[in-house]
Amino acid sequence: MTYNTFKRVVITGLGVVAPNGIGKEEFWQACIAGRSGVRRITRFDASFLPTQIAGEVLVFDPASLGLTEEESTILDRGTQFAVAAANLAFHDSGLSNTLSESERNSMGVCIGTVMASVEEGEKLWLQFTGRGAHPPRALKQDIQPATLLMSYVPASAIAAHLQLHGPCTVISTGCSAGADAIGQAVWAIQEGRANRMLAGGSDSAINPTGINVFSVMKALSTRNAEPERASRPYDGQRDGFVVAEGAGVVLLEERDLALERNAHLYAEIIAFTSNSNGHHMTALPEDGEPLQHLLRQTLEEAHITPGQLGYINSHGSSTPSNEVAETAAYKAIFGEHAYQIPISATKSMIGHTQGAASAIETIVTALVLDRQLIPPTINQQQRDPNCDLDYVPNVARYADVNIALTHSSGFGGVNSALVLARSDWMDR
Amino acid sequence: MTYQTHRRVVITGLGVVAPNAVGREAFWHATSRGIPAIKPVLRFPTIDLRIRVAGEVCDFRVEHHIERKLANRTDRMTHFVFAAVQEALQDAKLILEHEDPKCVGAVIANTAGGVEYVLQQIEALHVRGPRYMSAYTAIAWLQVANVGQTSVQYGLQGYCKTPVNDMVGGLDALGIAYAAIRRGAADVLITGGSESLLHPCVLLILGQSDHCATGDDPHAYRPFDQRAAGTILAEGAGICILEEYEHARSRSVPIYGEIVGYGQTNDARGLQAPAYNGKQYARAMYLAMKEAQIRPEEIGYFSLDGRAIPQSDEAEVDALQRTFGADRQYLPVSIPRTMFGHSFAAAGALDTIIAVLAFQYGMIPPTINCEQLIPQYGLNLVQNEARPLSHSTALIGGRGIGGANVVLAIKKV
Repeated sequence: MTYNTFKRVVITGLGVVAPNGIGKEEFWQACIAGRSGVRRITRFDASFLPTQIAGEVLVFDPASLGLTEEESTILDRGTQFAVAAANLAFHDSGLSNTLSESERNSMGVCIGTVMASVEEGEKLWLQFTGRGAHPPRALKQDIQPATLLMSYVPASAIAAHLQLHGPCTVISTGCSAGADAIGQAVWAIQEGRANRMLAGGSDSAINPTGINVFSVMKALSTRNAEPERASRPYDGQRDGFVVAEGAGVVLLEERDLALERNAHLYAEIIAFTSNSNGHHMTALPEDGEPLQHLLRQTLEEAHITPGQLGYINSHGSSTPSNEVAETAAYKAIFGEHAYQIPISATKSMIGHTQGAASAIETIVTALVLDRQLIPPTINQQQRDPNCDLDYVPNVARYADVNIALTHSSGFGGVNSALVLARSDWMDR
Repeated sequence: MTYQTHRRVVITGLGVVAPNAVGREAFWHATSRGIPAIKPVLRFPTIDLRIRVAGEVCDFRVEHHIERKLANRTDRMTHFVFAAVQEALQDAKLILEHEDPKCVGAVIANTAGGVEYVLQQIEALHVRGPRYMSAYTAIAWLQVANVGQTSVQYGLQGYCKTPVNDMVGGLDALGIAYAAIRRGAADVLITGGSESLLHPCVLLILGQSDHCATGDDPHAYRPFDQRAAGTILAEGAGICILEEYEHARSRSVPIYGEIVGYGQTNDARGLQAPAYNGKQYARAMYLAMKEAQIRPEEIGYFSLDGRAIPQSDEAEVDALQRTFGADRQYLPVSIPRTMFGHSFAAAGALDTIIAVLAFQYGMIPPTINCEQLIPQYGLNLVQNEARPLSHSTALIGGRGIGGANVVLAIKKV
């Protein structure tokens, strides 16, 4: 039997494309100010749908974010976000395009996505069938090949853009996809399958199908008159989540390698855990039992106690049932500490960016550790008696945070968690 | 500091839904005899399509595998998963009630999602109105439906993931699951891939690319042949029960084989077909063999990607040359999938199932259709008839568009 030491993994670069800001600084300032990115839908005429609001990335200029003309023509919007966010993370980390061949061989990509290319898929179907008038028929003009099968493209487009030859995969586990991709990438570095990874998530599905699949499940907020107030996790008047688009990518690096090149370390990832509800495709039970198991396992694997947790970036999707289950699980596992730990939900400001969500939330968590400042959960107006913890309502707050948790629960029943520590914490 | 113990990972159960057979025994019977299974597509009219033949799963009775209400709320890809998982669990004699549900999970790859289901619902939305879309659309369509429904059906509470990696997702799923068990993230993983993409819209799209053979010839999938013109599409599912070695031993069940190495690299070629050269593919072979601690001469069978696009085939030969040098003339290679088509995310799982069955029966199933094999490639291709397997180690290779290269090394225990 062989024994190996797992390598330590740090975050050295952040890249984000979000409805309330592009690039880590603009995004972070918006989050600290509690600025919402949710608006009435502009990407298509949504007047025939019950929900007409979403978190859209309104100003996105692929060229200024480093995409080539070909990339901005042939890649779907979600993949363009992914490449842009990867570029931002890559440059934020201080790496340059002069990586050696062996560095490129040991650098990979892992991206989470849920609905990649549904916008293109829907458009093609409309064309093939004359808006449903006849069975699918060939078009006169050529189409981009493989568009409908492009869910795997965000990762391979990043690998191609930056010429990275390490392991490259897409993980599509619903709303936890971004965290799962980051977790898999952490494991890849720990196990020595790569020493740097660009990992995160992306999605863009603000089109009739992308919105309506959730409307028919009665999962979406219909607060069309007040878009900025629609995503309100924990608040007593929450009525569902808000679909959003975006991407979040982090550059993960083996710690020694990052130290050697004097990179800025935002945080260290000290644990990745993941489990499955095993009883329902979309919802946690009221007591959050599967999440309880996950939290317990996470504390064990990170070798920490609840008292050491200084911040939680929660799943907080703004659905009536999720936040009750979350709150119950925190109390069951963290006991009295549950009331002391500041908790905030990024989705209150940007909505639910699906495969990108848990990656963007990992970026927020890393910045909390880096800046010792906690962004708020906005739209907290009316207390829900079942949600009585400290959700950092409406206003950002300074705090001493050494260890932080971010977790998410997704369609398909997967729950995942990442534990981040201040980069100097493990040395103490 | 955490210490990593290298736990061993073995395969103890197999489940198959393939165009040439449903069920592993019938699958081996057909595959080992080289029986062709590509036929004209029957599920919808193909008169306006360029792709008109495929590997369709014909003898599949949904009601044998999945309860009716659930069948209506799930796509065909998930029906395949239910059938293959059920068979694999029975084959592994795994009684889930005796297991800790937190240590059991699923890693099932899929590429296209529930195409048929979602396109019907897109039609409902646009033709009849938003309220006519099924409330089950999202959970039936998204790739995660397969692991989600499996975990609900069997009460799995452990590690569950859904890799999406073009035509190599199933092989990647096996690699990811192997790594997860090896590091202790799970004891048992229901692993593989499923794909159901035979839909007019998909055929219209792929019919425009040069990745797929077009026309009516059921023998048109000819890798490494003068007439190579792309793969033929198929649907299906392949599931392996992966289990930690001591866990399997404690249950005293037969072990099909052990996964001993996994290598994954990328050509970084965006949306282009695997080509260029075999440098990165060779590196994936090297990584898998290094992890497995096996030497090239120990390999008794290499299950090739065999994309049947001339430059992709050349690159695969280049990769073999880089890895095995002149010795590759002694290395038996085959692409049994020529008999029933390439089922995207299911393919790598089915290739692996064929390789472990090859261990069990001591035979390498043949490649068909390649009467005009290009001699310069110098391949030792098992053609038309199965050949005895001499060593107890095999490699399974696969590539995806953009240049994902995955190689899995397996060993007889």
